[in-house]
Amino acid sequence: MNNLTLGQYLPTNSWLHKVDPRIKLLNLVVLLVAIFLVPIRSSTLTPILSMLAILVLILILTASAKIPLMKVLNGLKPIVFLLTFTFVIQLFYTQSGTLLFEQEMYVSVTSIVAVFLFLVFYHLTKRRIKFRTTYFFLAVFMFFYLQTLLPYIGLTSYTMKVYDEGLIKAGFIFLRITNIIILTSLLTFTTMTTDLNYAIESLLKPLKLIKVPVEMIAMMLSLTLRYIPTLLIETEKIMKAQASRGVDFKENSFGEKIKQIISLLIPVFVISFKRSEDLANAMEVRGYVIGAKRTRIDEYHLATRDFLALIVTLLVLAAMIYLKTLL
Amino acid sequence: MGIQFKNVSFTYRGIKTSYGALNQINLQIAQENEFVAIVGHTGSGKSTLVQHMNALLLPTQGEVEVLGQTLPPKKNEKINHLRQKVGLVFQFPEYQLFEETILKDIMFGPKNFNHTDEEATEKAKKAAETVGIGPELYEQSPFRVSGGQMRRVAVAGILAMEPKILVLDEPTRGLDPRGRKDLLNIFRNLHETEGKSIVLITHDMDIVSEYAKRVIVLKDGAVVFDGTKEALFDHPRFDEFHLELPTPLKILKHLEKEVQLPYQPQYDFNSLLNYLKEVQHE
Repeated sequence: MNNLTLGQYLPTNSWLHKVDPRIKLLNLVVLLVAIFLVPIRSSTLTPILSMLAILVLILILTASAKIPLMKVLNGLKPIVFLLTFTFVIQLFYTQSGTLLFEQEMYVSVTSIVAVFLFLVFYHLTKRRIKFRTTYFFLAVFMFFYLQTLLPYIGLTSYTMKVYDEGLIKAGFIFLRITNIIILTSLLTFTTMTTDLNYAIESLLKPLKLIKVPVEMIAMMLSLTLRYIPTLLIETEKIMKAQASRGVDFKENSFGEKIKQIISLLIPVFVISFKRSEDLANAMEVRGYVIGAKRTRIDEYHLATRDFLALIVTLLVLAAMIYLKTLL
Repeated sequence: MGIQFKNVSFTYRGIKTSYGALNQINLQIAQENEFVAIVGHTGSGKSTLVQHMNALLLPTQGEVEVLGQTLPPKKNEKINHLRQKVGLVFQFPEYQLFEETILKDIMFGPKNFNHTDEEATEKAKKAAETVGIGPELYEQSPFRVSGGQMRRVAVAGILAMEPKILVLDEPTRGLDPRGRKDLLNIFRNLHETEGKSIVLITHDMDIVSEYAKRVIVLKDGAVVFDGTKEALFDHPRFDEFHLELPTPLKILKHLEKEVQLPYQPQYDFNSLLNYLKEVQHE
């Protein structure tokens, strides 16, 4: 639990780090809109090519921000399953265009058993494999490949047909999700949580006109972020204290576990209430008044760089709108 | 038997950094009749050391032997049972309270070690009596009693497991002088009547001189002194440990300097008083 880093700010001090956080957040929103504007059409190659172009742009952006490519790819790891799943679904769901590949698949007693055994084997071995993502892809491939191999004691069979339009569509969606994830993580790589918080606060300012307490929301957000690591440390302490009283989160049965989780939850709640009370007092002692106007130690001023960045993203958006009218 | 550290090192690992908290520790604590104080500066590894004693932390190098079981454990070897035999009371243990009533909270430990409700109740009542929690408090919420009482309930939660060795991480921190004295007397009683070994982390040299028999001084994760308290306070290189002298010894040193009273170490206030009376009569 000590290894947990909240946010993933990488202080490489590039130009992207220096862009005003408000502009960065705004740019992210604009770019996400642009990405979603590209229509899903499998009849032409234009959408997937523009998605690819955006990916290249994003990768150039990442490189110019001096963020190592490995870090970006690691950010994709948690969604590898989702990516693969959507890819496979799209690939088989779209049945139009020219046929690229056809294969008889057998659902038989032997193949079901083989697939089942393979999945068990995969789950048992995946912890020991170093290249887990590659291993996962291999497993997905094997899942289908086994079905072609074993027709014995067959129950039924189906034909797997892959069309070029399916491939385009699957690739398009794959690229779109990848783009969104990389772009978003780029923001967190180059912006500190405090700055991000400031950006959210000032972009939400118009909502004050309809009496939304923007500053309060922003303060709550930043305090929450600030206290997550602290609470984790407290949780670890309580876990150890309860472990000393015989709680074992590994060796006990499920029924006992529920009771044991309560023994962890209640102390953590008590501590967080106590902490928030202390914090509220400490803030008031230092003159914090809810809703009062506050000044900041760092004032941001928009520079030429910021306007340039905004213009470029707006151009991308314009290009995507133009593309949409063409198709 | 007891607890034995053999060349134990422990490293906390971060993402990029690693921090050596213990370095080549060798020491032995007998199962009975020990009253050990562990002293040292903040960050010297005291808490890390005691967490090895009930297998909460496992050595990254070397071996710890706790009541005959070697740690780190072999595959499929259970270590949870050690936590019943070596009771560890953490700093501010009142934060671990969670049950609806005080008695139930004290019963939590014994119940985790497969005691029936009746057995657990019996053990809990005995432990509550030991720490001076009366039956009128049994059905109260542990969150509605005073800080000193919460601390005692938490200690009783460990005592109810009937550990063979009791390990305490700064048990008196944040207590008033009265609560501190009461709690320490409870531990001394346990030690004297049942012969239980007690290991205690503290910063307070007065506690060391009044209660402990043996002192282990840690500095930067290594043991720099291990011996009786008499030997420690008389150590020729005592200044190098950066520890303070306990108050009775300070008074005696001062009297020696100011009125040439012959220095003869006394470790608590009663014996100091007796010594002064003795000198007066002469």
